[in-house]
Order: sequence, then structure tokens, then C-alpha cells
Amino acid sequence: MLGPNTRALAGGTDLITLMKADIAAPERLLNVKPLLPRGIEPRPEGLEIGALTTLAEIEVHEVINRGYSALAQAAAAAASPQIRNLATIGGNLLQRPRCWYYRNARIPCWLKGAAECPAREGENRNHAIFGGGPCYAVHPSDLASALLAFDAALWLHGGRGERTIELADFFALPKAQMRVETVLEPDELILGLRLPPHPAETRSCYLKAMDRASFAFALAGVACVLRLSGDKIAHARIVLSGVAPIPWRAEAAERELYGARATDERFAAAAAAAVQEAAPLRHNSYKVPLTKALVRKALKALTTTGQTQDPACK
Amino acid sequence: MIFRLEGRAKVTGQARYAGDTRLPGQLYAVILRSPHAHARIARIDTSRAARHPGVRAVVSSAESPRIGWYEESALFDRTVRYVGDEVAAVAADTPELAEDAARLIDVHYEPLAFDVRGSPEKPKTEERGDIARGLREADVVLTEEYRTQSALHNALETHGCTALWEGERLTVYESTQGIFAVRDEVAEKLSLPKERVRIITEHMGGGFGAKQVAWKHTVIAALLAKRAGRPVQLLLERSAENLASGNRNATHQRLRLGAKRDGTLSAIDVRIELEQGAYSVGGEDSDVIGTFLTLYRCANVRAEQRPLVTNLGPAVAFRAPGYAEGNFALESAMDELARRLDIDPIELRLRNYTREDQREGKPFTSADSLRRCIGRVSQVFDWGQKRAGSGFATHDWAAGGGWPPAEARVEVSAGSARLTLGVQDIGTGSRTALAQIAAAELGIPVAAVEVQLGDTGRGLYGPTSAGSATLPTLAPAVREAAREANKRGSASAERGDNPKDKSIRTCGAQAVELAVDRETGEVRLKRVVAAHDCGRIVNPLLQTSQVIGGITQAIGYAMREERIVDARLGEVLNANLEEYKVPVVGDMPQIINASESMPDEEANPTGIKGCGEPPIIPTAAAIANAIFDATGVRIRELPIKREQLIQ
Repeated sequence: MLGPNTRALAGGTDLITLMKADIAAPERLLNVKPLLPRGIEPRPEGLEIGALTTLAEIEVHEVINRGYSALAQAAAAAASPQIRNLATIGGNLLQRPRCWYYRNARIPCWLKGAAECPAREGENRNHAIFGGGPCYAVHPSDLASALLAFDAALWLHGGRGERTIELADFFALPKAQMRVETVLEPDELILGLRLPPHPAETRSCYLKAMDRASFAFALAGVACVLRLSGDKIAHARIVLSGVAPIPWRAEAAERELYGARATDERFAAAAAAAVQEAAPLRHNSYKVPLTKALVRKALKALTTTGQTQDPACK
Repeated sequence: MIFRLEGRAKVTGQARYAGDTRLPGQLYAVILRSPHAHARIARIDTSRAARHPGVRAVVSSAESPRIGWYEESALFDRTVRYVGDEVAAVAADTPELAEDAARLIDVHYEPLAFDVRGSPEKPKTEERGDIARGLREADVVLTEEYRTQSALHNALETHGCTALWEGERLTVYESTQGIFAVRDEVAEKLSLPKERVRIITEHMGGGFGAKQVAWKHTVIAALLAKRAGRPVQLLLERSAENLASGNRNATHQRLRLGAKRDGTLSAIDVRIELEQGAYSVGGEDSDVIGTFLTLYRCANVRAEQRPLVTNLGPAVAFRAPGYAEGNFALESAMDELARRLDIDPIELRLRNYTREDQREGKPFTSADSLRRCIGRVSQVFDWGQKRAGSGFATHDWAAGGGWPPAEARVEVSAGSARLTLGVQDIGTGSRTALAQIAAAELGIPVAAVEVQLGDTGRGLYGPTSAGSATLPTLAPAVREAAREANKRGSASAERGDNPKDKSIRTCGAQAVELAVDRETGEVRLKRVVAAHDCGRIVNPLLQTSQVIGGITQAIGYAMREERIVDARLGEVLNANLEEYKVPVVGDMPQIINASESMPDEEANPTGIKGCGEPPIIPTAAAIANAIFDATGVRIRELPIKREQLIQ
């Protein structure tokens, strides 16, 4: 039933804005609110979150705040309270870029089918420093980075039945034949997602730099999950927001941390590694030191005693 | 404390704005706008749109009489000069049908070369003394360039109106700062006697200068309503608001300050380019050179400003037009000079204090008020004990004294009174403050005064709300009318003249404290202390609201707001509230209003002056100066971005 001409409508906070801007013009909208699961269920095999769960519900959920702080913080840092009350986690993962060339129906852009990306040589202050080309838009989701940092998996439902997929495999850089940011088939829906359990001593946070204190997309964001064993780092995940067409895992930074002692020098090395491959454009080179600073601050905050919940993201 | 008279109506949704008008048979209109920065319209065919279901009227250059607009241009010009320029309009039973129909208008454009950087027009120059000598005699000459951006007003309520014809009489429910300005302009464009046009503005949701002139949408709504024989509502969508309803002109200011070792200014030399957009729309001038000519005592001044015409939406007055831009350059430069000479920034200002308007050659009515404002800020901020990250700026403003003509009428009956005014309340609280003036004169409670305003049909004239003029213009007339009505039951009064031999100005000072994270470039504003001379303060709550509102808007101007244009495409990329980032509550520091009531009895008998515009003026410079104090980084371009501060 779903396809290019019939689109699923949940919170509508992205699809409706695309339709108003003349970027999307589906013939039919399918109201999926009666069809999909909503809610957060702790289970022995992990935390399950229904696709229709709102960002506001994630933001305040006790289990998420206790065990998955980065996710709660990412939800709290997203959009505005009004939008978080409507927006669903399923839709959040599927939202399209906010690139001002993409969102302007008068301007041809590669993501909309044109040959070139106007941002590459244009007004690209908000654009990608990783994974850019042919599209330089950045992925708008804060929560996606946190979910990736917790190794989340998705349940999908489509014409050929159900399947599960690692979130890491779900996002893919847009390609000429497939100018979207995910591998979701046109007839598929996200049913929900699962976060695997992790040891209680795991700590996490999400830091976000914006052009104002709230209600803005990330110039750069970092979701960081860290676990120490004694004074050694036993587990580290660092995923960046706002810097690439998809949520961007900083594996080089993680490698700097595994097995190492949690020292300022090590954190600085990890932060430097996180941006080693950055390829900034004319107006966005500030994102390189900014991203580096956020990675360092996140690591520092997670290893500073007394700072578990709100590691001063500014 | 006296609250706004209309406060309850506003917070309960009872207050009626232009967009709340619902008349029997009312239609909804949409304007089709140019997708090109510059093009000639070779053909336009509206017939498909006219046949669309629910469409009741279409207007364009194809079927409307030519109505002149913007000097040489027309209401629907066959040449469009910016993305957003008006091409045609449709009225239909619903806004959605109108929008669908507008897409069916076939326009064949022949694109022309466009320019968003601009070609300079004739300069306006003012000079006194001998600038060459002033520079020669200086011990220190500071030569710097400053740039400010195009800022968009973004009033919460966009421009819009509802037009209704009754026979040959036109009534327009409009969101405007000048009901009479709109009346006169609409009458002229439609070749109607003024008496047959009535403009009503009961409440409005912000104007900030952009609503002080009559824009095309009002005449378009009237034409559509005439053609359809039904009332027509035309409200601008946010993108149209941000493309085609005015902006604060961007500036490039090249400044030289010459000073003696003791800080005394011997020369001020400034050349300014300002981006005017495709048309000159009128209204208050953007007098960017103004403050260079008046803020400090200096014998040798040369100031020149030159508009640049571009293929972008036209600029229009924006809260203290010209002064917010000029002040950023001058007050940043004064801070640089203070550092260069190792003089305290406040002391440097006091050493160049002037008691007279050197532009007009007249003494100020309240020559000590700026000194008092500086003293208040210094004391409340505790400048002597300031922490790192502190910045200071003063300002003046060309207006605030009000002027004739204006009329007021008061009718008294059994312990209550009716106050009728020809002016509108643009949301600043004029209704309340003027009721207070009448109530005080009549010796009755404010609640016993019923205020009627915002309607040209009442037979009383009122000026456009601009130049921080409404209260000082109307208050003397209201007081006079109330005094007479107390004796005779009812009376009208006109605003008297201002003194001829004195100059009335407003002025003030602000200090800012902030912290900068050099790793992320994040600036955290901690507090702003402000003192502004607005004569006698009638209502401290409303005056504080203006101070907080002005500083809030100034913080947006200083740190975030900027119209972004792709020069290759001639397109504004952020004609919306997502990417045009006005500040949010979380961005706001503590704002301390340290203003004192300082009646200016020489200005007018009530001693009142205006305070709408001044609070926006010195904030950007004070912030930039505080950033230098915190980091050693000198900001010479607005808005201040983290990339300038990140290490």
C-alpha cells in the first residue's frame, strides 16, 4: 500500500513541512497512528521503543534517563516542546535534511534529482564536513546519534514481511540511484527499535552546539557512550550529529580510547582523531574545532565524578 | 503598578487583530511573487486561474489599470526586480483555493542580469570644520571597517489586511503603524477622496518600523474586493514577509577617528554604503551617519552615506533605523580608542560629552540626561568593580520628542471619561499610558477612562507611530483636552509646537557582562544593565517592557539574525523562522532596567519623551566590546558568530 504516492503520516512534523514547501507531494497519506506501537518497554533482551513513541515521552522516561542518558538528553535538545509532543521516534529517524537548498522548491539540488549540489560552492555554513558529495546536507536528527551509540536495531515491516536491521546499516549515504539517507524500502515502515542491555556502570551523554539556546538543529552534536573497567576504558562509542549526511560514527576516536586510561591527554587524542578525516567547505571549517571540542568535553564530563546527568554542554 | 488596559483581552484571545476579521462573504487572497531576481514579464495569462473553482477575482498587469508605485515602478510592474516582487493576486473562497489558483497563472519570464551586491547611488554628505586638519592634529588615528547585516523585522503578526467596499466607500482592517499614512496612500493609488477610505487598526502584533508605510498588499486587497464584490482578506505568509516586507539595511562603514592623547576627538570621518534593495519605499530615513554627527563633541566631522541598489527586497525603517547600524561602528571604535589610549571606556565618553546638537547648532533640552544615564549604568553595573567580559556603549537617537500635528478629545460624564485619539496602539501600550495622562488630569482612576483609537473614521488625526513619537506627541494634547473637559464636560486639543531654539533627543547607555568558551565559540550573556532617557516615565512597567524588548531584539541583531542570500541565485535562503534565528528565552541574560524618570520640561509641558527605539541601539556594540574584554578578539562584523571566536 505504501509507496512513492502514498506516504505514512505519524507526527507529521517533517512530512507536512515538506508538503508545504512543495518538496513532497504524495497523492495519499496513510494515518499510521492506529497501526503502529507506541511506548517504552524494558525487557530482558533490551529496551524496546515503539515507532510512535514521541520525543517528549523519551525525554522524560525514567529508564531512559537512568540507563540511556544520551538518548534522553538528545530528545531534550531537539526542536521545541511543542514539536517533541508530536514528533515520533520513527519519523525522527526518517526526517529529510534541513538544507536550505533542498528545502527551497525553486532551487534545483542533487538530492532532488539535479546534477549538482548548490551548497558545495554556496552558502554552506550548516553543511557536512564528513561524507559529503554529491550531497552535502547534514542529517537533522539528534536522537539517531544517541541510538547508534547504543547499538540500536530496528524492526521494519513491508510488503515482504518483517525484518530487523542494525541502525548502523539502516543509514546510508545517498547514492545516485537512491537519493535518500536510509535503506528503507518505499513500502516499508519502522515498527520500533531495540536498545541492547548494557552494564550498569555504562555512562553516556549528548552534547549539542546550536545557533541559539533551543529550537535549532545541531551545528555539531556528539553522542558518547563510555564504560570504564577499573581505570581503563572498556567500551566507547562516539557518534556525531550535524556534520554528515547521516549520523557519523567516529570510529578512529573510539580506537584511541579502547583499553586506554581515561586521561585528559587521551581524550584530546580521541577528539583529534574524531575530526582527522574532516573535509570542510568554504563556510563550515569552524565545525572541525567545534566537533573536536564537543568530543573532548563529552569524554571529560563522563569521567568527572558528580556529573552524570547534565555534563554542561555549553 | 498599572497594567495594560488591553492585557486581559490579549491573553484571553478577545483582542481582534487584522487577521481575526470575519465578514459575511469574505474571500481570501494570495499574491503570486516573482521567482526571479530580475526578469521581464513577456506574457502573463491568468485565465486558467480565473476558471479555477472558488476563484472570485484575479489581478495582474494583464487586467488591472497601471497604478504607479516606488517612483518609476508600478503595482504590477512588467519588470520584476527581486525574488518575491509582486506579479499577480487571486481571491477565492478559501486560502487553499487561492493558493492553488495562483499556481495556475501562466507567466513567461525573460530573466535579466541581476546584482545582489549593488551599484551605488548618489551619496548624502554632511561636513563641519576641517576634516584634514582634524586628522592632522590628532595624536592617534584609528582606521577601521565595520559591517552590519540585513536583518528582518519578523513581527509575530505578518503584514495583512481585510478590505471591504460599501458602495464607493472602502474600509480596511489593517495591521499598520500609521492608519492615516495608509489611508492617504490607498486613496491616492485608487484615486479616491481620502474621506471615502477608512483604516482600522484595533490591535497589532508588532511592526518595528516595517508597518509604517502603505505596502502593495492593501491596494491589491482593495482591487480584488472591488472586482469580486466581496470583502477580501490578504495576510502575508512568513516567506513573503521575509522577502518583500522590508529589512534593516546592511552597511559597510569605513571609519577614521582622530583623537588627542587625552582622548579628545579631533576628527570623525566616515563613509558608509548601505544596501537599500530594489526600491526606495519611503518612511523614516535610515540615517546611518546621524550618530557620527551628534553623539560626541567634535569640531571636524565628515560623514557620507551612499545607498546601493540591489535585486533584493527593499529595506525599510527598523527600530532606530540607521542608528543601530551606525552605533555599532562608532561605539566599537570608541572602545578601541579607549584601549589604544589606555583610558577607561566610560571616561573617554565623558571627555567627549556634548551639551548641544552640533548638527542643528542648538543646545539639547536635557543636556545632562546622557551623563545621568551613564552614571546610572556605571553605578548599577558596578563598573568600578567590573569582571572580565564587561563592555559598555552609549547612544543617542535623533527623535523621541514627538511633534505636531495630533489631536485628542476627552468627554467626561459621572466620574468616567472617554478619550478619543486619532493614533493607533502598535502594542507598546500607548492606550494605557495616554489613559493615565487623562485620568491624572481628571482625578479619576485609569479604569474609568475608556480609550477609542486606531480608526481614521473618528474625525481626529493622529501621526504614524514611528520615531518613538507617539507618547510625547499625544500626551500634551491629551492633558490639554482633559484639562478643558474637566471644566466644560468635553473638549478637543491639538498638539502644540516644540521649542524652536532647542534640540530634543533621547539617549542612553548600556553595559554588558558575558563569558566566552573559546573551545566552542559559545558566548554566554550574563547581564545587561540599561538606562535610557525618555523624559518623565509615565508607566514604569511599560517602559521596562520596551527596554527588555529592545535589548532582546538587539541581542538577536548582534548575535544571530541575518538574511542569507545566495549571490549566484539571487535567492534568500532563510526567509523563514527556522533558519532566520530570532532569539529564544534561553538566550536571554538578566536585563536590568536602570532608567530614571527625568522629566524634560523644555521638550513639552508633560516632560515626556519616547522610548520605543532607543533600547535596541547600543547593545550590539556593548556586546562586541565585552567580547574584546573577555577574549582580546575585536568584532567588526555583525552578527557575531562562533567562528570568529573559536580557537
